[in-house]
Parts: sequence; structure tokens; C-alpha cells
Amino acid sequence: MPVLNADTTVGCELPQIARQLRLEHFKRGDEKTIHTDMEAASREGLPAPVAVGPQVAALIFQQLRLCFEHGWIEGGKCELTFRRPVFVTDFCVAKGTVTRREDVAEGVRLYCDVWIENQNGENVIVGNASGIVPAPNELSPP
Amino acid sequence: MTQERTRIAEDEKGKRATYDDIRVGETLGEMAWVVTEEMIDQQCEMDMDYHLWFSVDSPWGGRIAPPQLSYRPPRWLFSRAYNVRGLFYKWEMENLKPIKPGVTLKVTGTIADKYVKNDREFVVYQAEAVDSEGSVIFRTRRTHVLDFVERTAPRAGKGIDSGIKPEKI
Repeated sequence: MPVLNADTTVGCELPQIARQLRLEHFKRGDEKTIHTDMEAASREGLPAPVAVGPQVAALIFQQLRLCFEHGWIEGGKCELTFRRPVFVTDFCVAKGTVTRREDVAEGVRLYCDVWIENQNGENVIVGNASGIVPAPNELSPP
Repeated sequence: MTQERTRIAEDEKGKRATYDDIRVGETLGEMAWVVTEEMIDQQCEMDMDYHLWFSVDSPWGGRIAPPQLSYRPPRWLFSRAYNVRGLFYKWEMENLKPIKPGVTLKVTGTIADKYVKNDREFVVYQAEAVDSEGSVIFRTRRTHVLDFVERTAPRAGKGIDSGIKPEKI
């Protein structure tokens, strides 16, 4: 069952999804990239190798799948901003809250603020997302 | 002695695209993309995100892919046109239908915008994927900053990494 449903109210907190990043998570064979190699990162002006953005954002996608299930796969929307680099040994946790409800033909669209904090409490990825939950009198999707 | 801060001018895949090279409105062409079971496995492992629908079966009949598998094909289209390493800045995604293994999707893209902000150069591209019946499976719009280093720094350095990658997960 999805975490969110038609009874969910504005202000509801989304489940938190955390991950301790490691350099090994970003290696692809022997390739030297800004995600795996100090010199490659340094030449681009970066102080250290940075995590692959989509792999960090995946914490939010996992959160949204838990929240909406079917309504994330069909009808899910997301707008993210990568505000600051995430380094390959950072700790990241995805958080979020429900901000708005809207009745739509398919059910109820729930809008959320979503973000990822690092170990220092800094918001490294911020944005908003939405997904659809069945209307109160609807049967579950197929 | 301090080292002069530079932006990368070229890497082993060739010259880096500059802000002036990028043409707003340009089509990025199209590619046929077939998701495989192996790609789904790899995506789940990379993200450490496992679900019955991604691994075994789903309400749509058979396995489906995590929606974020859609990240790569638009990036490949962009990389075919421009060698931009840079950093990911914004990501909009819309999941309209599940991505299923063995289904051929046609992915098309265009350069939507470019702009300068905070002394850095940004490029915006957008893409969508349709199945053989013309149904849209996903839409996306991304913004990349061309360089982490400010645009006032000379473009002179040689990079190790490149924006042009093997077209695989």
C-alpha cells in the first residue's frame, strides 16, 4: 500500500530515505571521472570527486515510489535543483512534506516539497514533486 | 605560487563545447532505445532501490524499470551533439507510463535554452520518449552548467573526464 492516500493532509511528512555514499558506488570499470578520481575532479575546479547527481536524486525517487506506488510510475512529476556538489563520501537523507492537494480525473494529486540534506544539515538537492493517489471511493489500480 | 584557475578546453574525446557553440532550438536527433532486463538490474543496484515491480512482476504485466532509468538516453543525445562535462543543475521529469523491458522507445530531444547566471553558463535541453503506438512514456527537461569554474576564467585546461560517455547504463 502506498504511504500516502486520499486522506493524507497538507503538512504530512514523507518517509526519510538515507544513504551513506562511498566512492565505490560511482566507479564504472577503470574509467577516471570527476566522480571517482581526484585529479579529474581537480582539473574541473572541484575540491574532491562529486557524487553522480541522478544516483543521489534516486533517494527522492525511492521516497516518491513508497509514497505513491502506482501513482508515481504513471503520473509522477518531479522538479529538482542540485544546489551544491555532493561529495562521494557524504551522508545524504531525502526528506519531504505534502504541501497541496488537488482533485484530478485520476484521483487526488498530492504535491510535495522534497529535498536531500547532507551530514551538515545543508540542503544539497531541493525541489517539488507530485503523484496521484486513488480517490476515496476508487478501487485500487490494477 | 598560485595556479591560474582555468576552464577545460579539451579532453580525450576532443574539444569541449563552448557557450557560443550551443544553438538554442537545435534538434538533438532521435535514438531507438530498448531497455533490457540487465539495465533494470543495474539501475536497481546503482540506486540500491529494490522493489517487486522492478525485479519480478508488476500490475502492468512483467517487470518494469525504475523511472529514473530515463536519465541516460536524453543525456546520450545531448552528448552526441555537444561535448559538455559540466555538472547537473536541474532535472524535471514526468512519468506518464511505465518503462518496460523489450519495448522499443523513440527518444527525441532539442536544445531548449541557454543562459548565464552567477558568472556561469547553463544549457537547457528537453526530451521525450514514445512507444511504437505513439504514446508518450516520459518527458524530461534538464539544465547543465557547462563548467564548475566561473566563465571569466580562461578556457585553457585539458580534462581527464569527458561529457562523451559509452552509451550504456
